[in-house]
Amino acid sequence: MSCPYAAGREPEEQPLLKLRARPLRIALVGNPNVGKSVVFGRLTGRYATVSNYPGTTVAVTRGRALVGAEVCDVIDTPGVNTFEGAISEDEHITRVIVANGQSDLIVQLADARNLRRALVITSQLAAFQKPVVLVLNMMDEARSRGVHVNAAGLARELGIPVVEMVATEGRGLPELRAALSAATVPAVDTTQPATRWAHETTQRFRSIRRRSLGRFQEWIGRAVREPATGLPLLALVLYVSYLFVGVLGAQTLVGLIEDGLFGGLINPWATSLASHLPWAPVRDFFVGEYGLVTMGLTYALAIVLPVVTTFFLVFGFLEDSGYLPRLAIFSDRLFRAMGLNGKAVLPMVLGLGCDTMATMTTRILHTPKERLIAVLLLALGVPCSAQLATIMGILGGISFAALATLFGVVLTQMLVVGFLAARVLPGDRSEFALELPPMRLPQWRNLLTKTVLRIRWYLGEAVPLFLIGTALLFALDRVGALVVFARTAEPVVSGWLGLPATAADVFVMGFLRRDYGAAGLFEMARSGALTGVQSVVALTVMTLFVPCIANLLMIVKERGARTALWILGFVTAIAVLTGTVLNHAFRILGVTF
Amino acid sequence: MSHLHAGDEGIVAHVVPDGRGRADRLAALGVTPGARIVVRQTFPGLVFECDQTELAVERMVACAILVDTTIHYEQIIQTRSEP
Repeated sequence: MSCPYAAGREPEEQPLLKLRARPLRIALVGNPNVGKSVVFGRLTGRYATVSNYPGTTVAVTRGRALVGAEVCDVIDTPGVNTFEGAISEDEHITRVIVANGQSDLIVQLADARNLRRALVITSQLAAFQKPVVLVLNMMDEARSRGVHVNAAGLARELGIPVVEMVATEGRGLPELRAALSAATVPAVDTTQPATRWAHETTQRFRSIRRRSLGRFQEWIGRAVREPATGLPLLALVLYVSYLFVGVLGAQTLVGLIEDGLFGGLINPWATSLASHLPWAPVRDFFVGEYGLVTMGLTYALAIVLPVVTTFFLVFGFLEDSGYLPRLAIFSDRLFRAMGLNGKAVLPMVLGLGCDTMATMTTRILHTPKERLIAVLLLALGVPCSAQLATIMGILGGISFAALATLFGVVLTQMLVVGFLAARVLPGDRSEFALELPPMRLPQWRNLLTKTVLRIRWYLGEAVPLFLIGTALLFALDRVGALVVFARTAEPVVSGWLGLPATAADVFVMGFLRRDYGAAGLFEMARSGALTGVQSVVALTVMTLFVPCIANLLMIVKERGARTALWILGFVTAIAVLTGTVLNHAFRILGVTF
Repeated sequence: MSHLHAGDEGIVAHVVPDGRGRADRLAALGVTPGARIVVRQTFPGLVFECDQTELAVERMVACAILVDTTIHYEQIIQTRSEP
């Protein structure tokens, strides 16, 4: 028998080693934002992204854990609120894992405060006839709110092990490992509806003594959601983020690294080293105009890296604080006009980190129409971290009006497209009902781990593409294709958009990666090749321009090739059109910035 | 619930279904008949606490949640503490 627990037999002393055809597969299941990814990390030693908002995990992560003397497969799943009725795409992913043969044993994570909602899941899990262990996580937060759960009584009632845990501190994990062998199918009264059973069981085993939270925590929770204080706070958050990313990252750090490290040290050194090379084209390949070191590495490490690092820090802080979902309260009305609801603020804000990841996060939206509109808007107007920062770096140096114009145009464009899409596309939007996670002070360790991993991911993904892109540009330049391309694109680039012909290169780079293109514009602007008006036009077009290759592939994966091609064509047309109108409007009105 | 003000409390009496899973989705978030709610804010969106969860909903959803405000809080505590 491959799975000795399947019959739901009585727990008994387990031999240390069991013979199995394959490792025991343990699925971590539970409501959103109860700490599944933290437990996954604790069990397997692998880091799954941990944040403080529902929907951080939208795909499945697998890892291995040693339990006793046995190696088990552990599966981290997206959070579920229900397995029945209308479920979202990420909930469906979890349902498949629980329902079919992909898992042998289920560890249900629960927020100890929210026992009632957890028990709804427990009762639905019972129907799958798999052994379950129930974990009451965040016992510390529950206690500080005066919530007490009688775990022993609950274990007797359900007939399954119930483990109390504070996963972030590692408390309760040895108990969980020990309890795995005692897991059985939960005993649930199926004669009444799941919600009523959950309600009654909760009342029997949970007692609440009202206790007020810390004064500050209560104040901040209220302050960020009420308009009178919430909107000024939002402005403050944006401003501080701008100072950190746009000024410290894009100006101070970029200046230090680009001028100091690369301009003063690495590039002269590489050039002198390359001067020993006998053949000019090889020399140029490394240190020429499109050189691997002078362009590829400089762009990746000197211009974009400082910016994404500061951005990931700010972003991770906001993610872990629980602030992001609260933005949905303010933006719900706006998103409803675009055929979405406030929940869409999550993928949109995440898009500022990386549009590719955010495209995957659209799974948390409920209807196909909402997911399509969100993917389209992400591809159209949401600049990713690196791009955002280069925008701030260039336009922040020109004037605030330039920056405001760009964001104004892009936002208007998104609103118009969203508004039209809401009316043209078939289907419905879903109603807005979103859980707000508690506000917490982020844990520095998680913030640093997350940032380091994201930077490593950036270096692994972006640097090779920057180098390949540079090599490609070098080759195109050598065979003269770049000149031909620039000449072909000239009527559009110079005529319609009013940009120098060399800007055509930058748009080729922008397709490889948007930030690569933006870095190219950054260089042009710094060397004085672009005027203020040209910078605004070029950056607006680049922001609206086609999604990068990675994002395009993700759209194909999530929404199919036909939709992806359609989005690609549409977005390109809008970008060029907007740039053209903008260019001519500036000229007619005599705007100079 | 859409008629309540910030600070008002009550017990969920009924959730009007819309045929597209509204009641199921709200039930999954803990909004089921018998659950105690406290309204925290009504503008720009309605924010309320249900059990130990803070939820934000649009007006349409709030209209569909029928709340009984006549039961006094102390009474509930009493009935709850009985075995």
